[in-house]
Amino acid sequence: MAALRTLFLIGGLCAGLAVQAAELAVAVGVLDPAQVAGQDKAFPRGAPGAELVAVNDDLAREICRRINARCALNYIAFAEILPGVEARRFDLGFGNFLRSPERERRVAFSDTIWRSSSRLVGSPAAARAFAGKLGRPVTLDSLRDARVTAIAGSQQLTFLERLPGERRLTAIGTPTPIDALQALRDDGADFALLPTLSAYSLLSHDSSGDFEFVGPAAADRGLGGTVHIILPRQHEQLRRAVNQAIAAIRSDGTYQRIVRRYFPVGLD
Amino acid sequence: MTTPDRERYSANRAFVLLATVFALLFGGVVALLAFDQHRVLEASQRLQQETVPEIIRFQRLARNLDQLRQEGERLFSAGTPEGRQQSLFIVMLVASHPSILEHPQSAETARDTENFLVETSRRAGADPALLKARHAEWLNYSKRLSLLVDDLSVQGASLATDDLANMVAVMRLARIKLLGALVLVGCFLLLMMLLLRQHLIRPLQRIDQALSSLGVDRPAPEFPDVRLTEIHAVEEATKRLHAEMVSNEEARRELELLASRDGLTGLMNRRHFMLLAQAELQRAHRYGRPIAVALGDLDFFKRLNDTYGHGAGDVVLRTFAGLLAESVRQSDLVCRYGGEEFAFLFPESSVEQARILVERFRQRFADHDIRLPDGLLVRVTLSIGLADASRCPIEVALQHADYALYEAKRLGRNRVIVADETT
Repeated sequence: MAALRTLFLIGGLCAGLAVQAAELAVAVGVLDPAQVAGQDKAFPRGAPGAELVAVNDDLAREICRRINARCALNYIAFAEILPGVEARRFDLGFGNFLRSPERERRVAFSDTIWRSSSRLVGSPAAARAFAGKLGRPVTLDSLRDARVTAIAGSQQLTFLERLPGERRLTAIGTPTPIDALQALRDDGADFALLPTLSAYSLLSHDSSGDFEFVGPAAADRGLGGTVHIILPRQHEQLRRAVNQAIAAIRSDGTYQRIVRRYFPVGLD
Repeated sequence: MTTPDRERYSANRAFVLLATVFALLFGGVVALLAFDQHRVLEASQRLQQETVPEIIRFQRLARNLDQLRQEGERLFSAGTPEGRQQSLFIVMLVASHPSILEHPQSAETARDTENFLVETSRRAGADPALLKARHAEWLNYSKRLSLLVDDLSVQGASLATDDLANMVAVMRLARIKLLGALVLVGCFLLLMMLLLRQHLIRPLQRIDQALSSLGVDRPAPEFPDVRLTEIHAVEEATKRLHAEMVSNEEARRELELLASRDGLTGLMNRRHFMLLAQAELQRAHRYGRPIAVALGDLDFFKRLNDTYGHGAGDVVLRTFAGLLAESVRQSDLVCRYGGEEFAFLFPESSVEQARILVERFRQRFADHDIRLPDGLLVRVTLSIGLADASRCPIEVALQHADYALYEAKRLGRNRVIVADETT
C-alpha cells in the first residue's frame, strides 16, 4: 500500500513537473498586427477593436495560468492563426473561431468560450441606395449586385463565396476588419460582412458615424454559433486541460469578469 | 408406534428451495430498486446536462433582453447624439446575439425594438424633441420586453420544476418499493424462522430430550410426524438405538444369569453364592443379626451314578434343586457347591431355626420318589452339616458346616448335624 502511495506521489510529481515545464506558443488574433509593438509585444488597449483582442488576451493568460503552462503570446492577424495552429507553430489559437466541418478537419476545437453572429456593415447612404435598388431593406438574403468584403479565411468570406452566382455578389477578402472598413471608405466595397463583436469593437470607436449595422444579424448558415479556441489535432491532452480550465473560469466567475471588463454585454 | 408414511422433503432441497426463493425475491426487489435508481440517475443527469444548461440559456436570453430594454431606456435618456449612438450600438450588439436570434419570439421582439430605436435615433438627430414624443411608444416596447423577460424566467424555472417533480415522484415510488421490500423480506425471514423452528429446531430439541432420557428401563421414545427426511432418519435412529439398548440389556442379563447359575440345576453357582453370602454376612455382623450356613451332600450319589448312569444322576440333581426351590424361603440362598454337594445360607435365622428348616427339607427329600429316565423310581437321602455364621467369616462357617457334614456321614447319613462351635 505504501509502495503504491509512493508510486502515485512520484507520478504526480512527474506529471506536475511535466505541466510546469510545458511551454506553449499561443496565437491571439489582432485587428492590425502592425499595432503590436514594444519589447513585450503588447497591443494598444485603446485602439479600435482592442476590446475583443483584450478579452482573448486575458482569457489566454488565465487559461495558461490554470493549466500551469508558460505561454508565449503571439499577436497575429486572424487569417494566420488557423494555418499556424494546423502547422503546429502555435499550441493555442484565440481568434473568434466558429466551428465548421472544414475547420474541424484541420484543427481541434475547445469547448465553447462564447457565441457569435455576423452582420452586414455599411454606410447609411449605401444602405439607402441598395434598399432603393432592391425595393426592400438590405439584408443578407436580399442583397444583390454588390461588392461585399470579409476577413480572409473567415466563415463570412466562405459564406459569400458560396452564394449563388445569380445574386452577382463580389466577395472581397481583406486581412483584418480594419481593412474591411477601409475598403468601404475607399469605395472598394459596398458592404462588409463581419463578426458582430469585431464590428461592434470597431464601430463603437468610430466617432465619424460613417458606418452602421445594416440589416438583421445572422447566426445560421455558418455565420454564427459557438466560438472556440483552436488547437492542433494531436494535442488531445492539452485540449482536455483547456476545457477543464474553461469550465473552471466559468464556474468561479473569472470568465464573466473578463468579458464585462471590455464589453457591456455578456458574450455567452 | 409406527409413523405413517407421508411425503417428506430433504432438508438440503428444502433449504436450497428456500434460498432460491429468497434470492429471487431479494434479487427482484434489488432489480426494482436499481431500476428506480437508474431513473433517478437519468433524471439527475438530464437535469445536469440538459435542463440546467437550458435554464442557463433562458437566463442569459432573459438577461440579454433586459439589457436591450435598459439600453433603450439609456438611449432615450442620453443627452447627446454620441451617447444615443453608443446605446444604439449596444442595442444592435445585443440584438445580434445568437441566443436572441435562435429564439423566434425574442428575435422578433429584439428586431422590432432595434428598428424602432434606430429610427428614433436617426430622427432625433434632426429633431431632439421627437424623443419625448416617441417615449410613450417606447414604453410599449419596454413593457413587451419586460413581459418576455418574465416569461422566459418562468419558463426556465419550470424546466427545473418538471425535472425535480419527476425525480421526487421516482424517489417516492422507490421509497414505497423499499418499504415494501423491507416488509417482504421481513415476512420471509419470519416465515423462514417459523419453518426452521417447526421443522428443525423443535424436532432437534425433541431428539435431544429423547436422547437425554434414553434408558432400558424407559419406554421407547415417541416422536410426532415430521416432514424433513433427515430429522425423520435421526428420530428413527434414536428409536433403533433404544431398541438396541433394550436388546443389549437383555443379553447382559442372560449372560449375568449364565455366569451366576449352575447350568444343570439352575441354582446359583458357588462363585455367585460366595459373593452374595459375603455381603449377607457383613450385613448380619454389622447389625448383630443371626445367620447360619449349611452344607448338604446327597448320600451314595457316586453309587447311583455308577448303577443308573450319569443321566440318572442329573435327574436326581435337577429334582433335588426343584424341591429346594419350593422349600426354602425367598431370602435364603442355595447353590450347587460342587458335584452333589450344596451350600445354604439362612439370613435372619439362628442355627436352631435353620436346623428346623433343613430337617424339614431333608425329610421331604428322603420321602420323595424320583423317576429316572428309564421309568424306575428311586429315593435319595441327604446329609447336612449346619453351622452358625453370625460371628465368623463365611469360609470359617462353611468349614464348620463341612465338619458337621462329615460327622453326619460318619453317623450313618440322612441326618442333620449342627456343628459344635468349639470344633
